[in-house]
Amino acid sequence: MKAYNVVGHSVRRLDALEKATGTGTFASDYSLPGMLYAKVLRSPHAHAKIISIDTSQAEKLPGVKAVATYKNTPRVKFNTSATMTFTVPAMEPVLDQYLFDNVVRYVGDEVAAVAATSEKIAAAALELIKVEYELLPAVFDPLKAMEADAPVIHDGCKEGKNIPGDIVKIPYGDVEKGLAESDVVIDETFKLPVQKQVQMETQAAVARVSNDGKITVWSSTQTPHPSRMILAHVFSVPISKVRVLNPPYVGGGFGVRIGLSAKAEPIAVALAMKAKKPVKLVYDRKEDFIASDTRHAGYVSVKLGAKKDGTFHAMDLKGILNAGAYCSFSCETPGVLGAMGLAVYRIPNQHYYGHSVYTNTTPAGAMRGFGNPQAMFAIESAVDMMAEKLGFDPLQLRLKNIMQAGDPWCLPYPCSSSGLAECMEKGAASIGWERRGSLNRPGAKILRGIGVGVGTHVSNAWPFCVDYDNAYITVQQDGSVLLASGVPDIGTGTSTTLPQLAAEALGVNFDQVSLTFGDTETTPFDIGSHASRTLYAAGTAVVAAANDARKQILAYAGEYLEVAPEKLELNDSIIYVTGQDECDARKVHLKDLAYHAHLRNKQFIGVGRIVPENAPPWHAHFAEVEVNTDTGQVKVAKLTAAHDVGRAVNPVIVEGQIEGGVLQGIGYALSEEIKYNEKGKQLNDSIHKYMLLTAEDVPEVDAIIVEANDRSGPFGAKGVGETGLVPTAGAIANAVYNATGIRFKEIPITEEKMYRALHEKA
Amino acid sequence: MDNKILKFSLNGELKEVIVSPSDMLVDVLRDKLNLTGTKKGCGKGECGACTVIMNGEAVNSCLVPAMKAMDAEVETIEGIGSPERLHPLQETFMDLGAIQCGFCTPGMIMSSKALLDKNPNPGKKEVREAISGNICRCTGYVKIEEAVLAASGKYKTKR
Repeated sequence: MKAYNVVGHSVRRLDALEKATGTGTFASDYSLPGMLYAKVLRSPHAHAKIISIDTSQAEKLPGVKAVATYKNTPRVKFNTSATMTFTVPAMEPVLDQYLFDNVVRYVGDEVAAVAATSEKIAAAALELIKVEYELLPAVFDPLKAMEADAPVIHDGCKEGKNIPGDIVKIPYGDVEKGLAESDVVIDETFKLPVQKQVQMETQAAVARVSNDGKITVWSSTQTPHPSRMILAHVFSVPISKVRVLNPPYVGGGFGVRIGLSAKAEPIAVALAMKAKKPVKLVYDRKEDFIASDTRHAGYVSVKLGAKKDGTFHAMDLKGILNAGAYCSFSCETPGVLGAMGLAVYRIPNQHYYGHSVYTNTTPAGAMRGFGNPQAMFAIESAVDMMAEKLGFDPLQLRLKNIMQAGDPWCLPYPCSSSGLAECMEKGAASIGWERRGSLNRPGAKILRGIGVGVGTHVSNAWPFCVDYDNAYITVQQDGSVLLASGVPDIGTGTSTTLPQLAAEALGVNFDQVSLTFGDTETTPFDIGSHASRTLYAAGTAVVAAANDARKQILAYAGEYLEVAPEKLELNDSIIYVTGQDECDARKVHLKDLAYHAHLRNKQFIGVGRIVPENAPPWHAHFAEVEVNTDTGQVKVAKLTAAHDVGRAVNPVIVEGQIEGGVLQGIGYALSEEIKYNEKGKQLNDSIHKYMLLTAEDVPEVDAIIVEANDRSGPFGAKGVGETGLVPTAGAIANAVYNATGIRFKEIPITEEKMYRALHEKA
Repeated sequence: MDNKILKFSLNGELKEVIVSPSDMLVDVLRDKLNLTGTKKGCGKGECGACTVIMNGEAVNSCLVPAMKAMDAEVETIEGIGSPERLHPLQETFMDLGAIQCGFCTPGMIMSSKALLDKNPNPGKKEVREAISGNICRCTGYVKIEEAVLAASGKYKTKR
């Protein structure tokens, strides 16, 4: 393997110092002279028509500078998620919401907003707004929402009652015939909960509209460029008149800020336009819970057919997801659920059918994994059931059937690499798979079990969604390097790893590289931080820009040194003749060359413009659980997460992505859930009520990095951002079954559910 | 409203600031004194992002009425180290990958510092207990725990 100077090294994060000393700023920290503070009035009803709305008393309250409702804001339909900017033709994005509407469709839906000289005055003004509602019937379950007598939540659903957009169908081989030819068929339906991102910084935006009409928004978005496009659409202004930037840090994302941060940006802009002053809008935690997108709940059905010898022969997969009140990513999520679900195993006959259904609950959108965790909880549970029925070891059954590099599959790009078998072998050794089956003594109060789950994912969104990327590299007059990339750093380390790629590809020292990022004004177009794409797709653009700059440097150096450019190398910021000995004087430092060029009216400017390919990351998780038969508590004792990331550009950052994903996956499996009461009000609208895991709940986590280099990624790298929680719930549910003999077809496996199941069994 | 003058020691410096009786300490720090290193994640004492040290104890500054800080000694993330002279926790958080989005970091470091100030050599259990009120959604706590334990090794009670 080629040794790299920067790539593969866990250099300290470039954002670490500012974040550790308290000087790193986030949208919620931002303020401008004369700034006003905004608060939003939200619907107390799950479905209602606004008969009248009177804001006159609120407007009279001293300190109130602007009030916005559906009556005085743009009647332009949009979609808060970035899908409205990157849906691939001939599909069309579903635009189903206004900034404010005269119909409210979930508890928390925006009714009005106030800007005032303080947050307290704005909050007081909300109480002075008089709204008269006519209640409409509401529905909360996606299956019920498709029934004939269910209320219509949005008009224009062409595929069926309350179904947004198109139904996703992925045919591959002949599934009917395949199932008929199978010796054993597992046929099960699994129920998935609403999970919440609970990123630490709530949704936030500060908007300024200058007198010449230019809009600037400091935002917590994870997609500045698409967010800018949405804002330009909503306010009917040219894209060039809108600037969106992170300031520069973002307090976590996990999908909830792909597009607008739950409308915080356009509400702040609308108020800033009216008040002619900058406006800051920071949602409180409850608002963040009830009014920003969640993970999709729903139902996933698996029909898995196999031959007696353990060969998988057919799989029919179906996903019906709860879209909530607005579409957001509800067309794409069922697509990813199906595409990823069908890509893990070599199965000649497959079919997927999936869609979402509108209900009167908080909109569901993007959350880390994006449909894939839903798919893999169901599939990995079904695979374990199949192993038991066939009398196979679950690990061996998987190893026999997993996709291998070069295998045909249903996805529109090749299966170009796979380190899954290595992940499974290393993971099995870490957990002690051979101990499985001999963990429990008869009569033990604590039952132990070991389970496995595997999966894959994407490394960007192409060709499912628009996904291209650009980067600029400008070599400064002293040979230092300024890199410009439009991606934000939502905590995933982009602002460190992209400079690592630039330094390595260009051949300069890491400390010479500086990055401008997350700002539409200083960077070329980039889709943003989603789909595990930043290192892979933005990184590919960075490497292309570096290669372009390097070529210009070597061409110039060739003339300077009087050597053919192809005989030159650039390393550690020094240009020299390949293979030259130490006393050879034909070399020049980039610092001197750049200044030499500057004095002759030249700067090296590298441009990277790429359309990424795609590549599959792979992962195997092994869980060891302890089930307390007295209380029903399920505790994860150890979680081994082996991940094929192609190449770990910064191994500590990669481990951090895996470990963080794992804990969200454990929460998904065991405790995290938003439930609604019969009136559609969230019952788990705070951090405590939502049962987030704390430091005291963390098991031993063994993050194992496997590097099956992919030729398409920068230095062989593939995605990792989302993969930590894709197979986790399946691995845990399988371990729980191994411990107790109880098969849960619904998560989270709470203490209460387990207690009840243990008693029913006894 | 009856505004009052709050006098307290902030990062070793005496401060006088006009506050309203309904102000919370977090808002005084962030909005009146422009120390935005202390973050606000929930406003209800559930996430720990606003943790500061008051009279030696880690507290959620969103739950402390500002006037309760009268005559108190308050330490925030801005006061415990500088780029030239970092606190050991700041060093180990940076070196061991304990920082991702960074929003929980100031609160995490302050809770950990309150622990180490009292117990320079805590075990894993004590570390976990000390930061159990600080939510981190990025790291899975693994590297944070490592960083606190590593800092305890470097820690000198009198800095």
